[in-house]
Amino acid sequence: MFSFWTQDFLSLDTTPTLNNYREFLAEPLYQELLRRSLIIAGSVTVVTVLLAFPIAYYVSFYVRPERKSLWLFLITIPFWTSYLIRVFLWRVILGFDGVVNTALMNLGLINEPLTFILYNPNAVVITLAHAFAPFAILPIFVALERIDRSLLEASRDLGENAFNTFRRVTLPLAMPGVVASVLIVFIPTIGDYVTPRLVGGPEGLMIANMIQTQFLRLNNAPLGAALAVIAMLSVTLISLAFIWLTRKYLRAR
Amino acid sequence: MTDRNAIIDLRDVHKHYGEFHALKGISMEIAEGEFFSLLGPSGCGKTTLLRSIAGFEDISSGALMLDGADMAGVPPNKRPTNMVFQSYAIFPHLTVGENVAFGLRRKTGLSKSDKARMVDEALEMVGLVGYGARAAHALSGGQRQRVALARALILKPRVLLLDEPLSALDKKLREQMQSELRRLQRQVGITFILVTHDQEEALIMSDRIAVMFEGRIAQLASPQDLYLRPKSRDVAEFIGVMNFFEGGFQTGAAGIEMTAQGLGAARITGDQIMGSGSGTSCAVGIRPESLSILFEGETTSERIAEGVVDDLAYYGDMTYYEVRLDGMDHPLTISMKNRAGRPVLERGVRTRVAWDPRSLVVFS
Repeated sequence: MFSFWTQDFLSLDTTPTLNNYREFLAEPLYQELLRRSLIIAGSVTVVTVLLAFPIAYYVSFYVRPERKSLWLFLITIPFWTSYLIRVFLWRVILGFDGVVNTALMNLGLINEPLTFILYNPNAVVITLAHAFAPFAILPIFVALERIDRSLLEASRDLGENAFNTFRRVTLPLAMPGVVASVLIVFIPTIGDYVTPRLVGGPEGLMIANMIQTQFLRLNNAPLGAALAVIAMLSVTLISLAFIWLTRKYLRAR
Repeated sequence: MTDRNAIIDLRDVHKHYGEFHALKGISMEIAEGEFFSLLGPSGCGKTTLLRSIAGFEDISSGALMLDGADMAGVPPNKRPTNMVFQSYAIFPHLTVGENVAFGLRRKTGLSKSDKARMVDEALEMVGLVGYGARAAHALSGGQRQRVALARALILKPRVLLLDEPLSALDKKLREQMQSELRRLQRQVGITFILVTHDQEEALIMSDRIAVMFEGRIAQLASPQDLYLRPKSRDVAEFIGVMNFFEGGFQTGAAGIEMTAQGLGAARITGDQIMGSGSGTSCAVGIRPESLSILFEGETTSERIAEGVVDDLAYYGDMTYYEVRLDGMDHPLTISMKNRAGRPVLERGVRTRVAWDPRSLVVFS
């Protein structure tokens, strides 16, 4: 609703208008921020799911059944600390004289601290990927657990080697879990503003930071609302397109 | 058997799972084109043996030859065997046709239309014409079974392995599939190896049966030999029902004289004696259908014992009587066909039981 109004300092003009959306289209900064947010969220999603799949696969296929709950328990340990503390820890790890740089310098692998790992989009991706890994692992793990192991034996029996069995049986059957992981990671990361603010630097700021600024600093709630609506719509469209594509891909096989 | 080539040759095969000794020295040959069954109670090692042949289990020692080649270290996808799984293992994300065609991808030199034609033929063979486009997860148990069969047979394996394929079906469907499997096997001429715990199923379907107990083959024989000449009391009790008497035998100049508590003495031949123990304190066995109740006015040339009807079970076509012979503390099971003019006896009635010494088996 706010997004169709205008705010003038402290008073709200409730005449419906599309001016806020026009401003989004007219101002390249907003579009740039949205594009950057989508790219960062997309990278986070790809990195997280690519890391989560092998972990889920390992726990599901190689960990003895009686140990599985222990593994899942360990995977959730990061949740025990506040998210803010975890982000700050990443600052310590990635910082100019942080753990990574100190270690690499002491090993003599680099001469001066790496700067591309903090206060830029890379740092945002690393931090968010770590934060969302458990959310990505669990749905994939559940999907893998549900696969009847005799299906994999049947595939081997019918002449396929281990790799093709994975490609033709395991992966298609795990896809519902992968889709769930992608959505669970992608949708909240788009709207994240804490991580970019803390580790993103100027290059890593995302659309949510702008929305926050509009609401709290610039006192322009209607424009902030419009940006939020646009971000939400983009996420919805991309998610639907993604679901549609995976369905089509699965159906074609 | 000897005139046909051995497609499978097992030599002293052992399998250990840690402390557990699942297969304790299995040696046998299975002939080409044979319908062979592995029969035994659960945990006897029959499924382990089947999975070893398929390549899902490595044997701990011994040799497993398939079609003349040693299978040590050969993965399942490189063996000339295909398997029908107990759960059928139908791929739920594929259609029926895609399931059947799954293994064809590895076959080179086949055009798309060749493959489509082979799938159609395979579906026709198992009676599923026109099911190709259906989703596999929507099939009934019997249909899944058929898809699993078609999927394996389309690859023309040297050996088809069936792991309790009928155990999940209801009785009617199971009986229908039994005769259908038999027909299919004769039609394609492929060696079938069936794992089952159902002795009736094994008897109906097999050319030969290996009865397994605790990782060993207790007896390997044709269904008739297995039923009529079981080598041990364990086998006799596992295959069908057998009545046992305490008894013994003595070999004299006139032949072998057997005595059994409750039945009396009779002359038997050497092939009725199983095992090589002494003639004192043996178990003497006889099948329920080899005993018969003599109704009022009936006569027989067979031997007669007397007793009391303890209990009975009426099955429609048959009646099963529990008869306690005079001087015995446990009843015998006797199966009688129900015929016109033959009454169903009541509990507590005295009756005569006819028996033939030729149908006795002595376990020494």
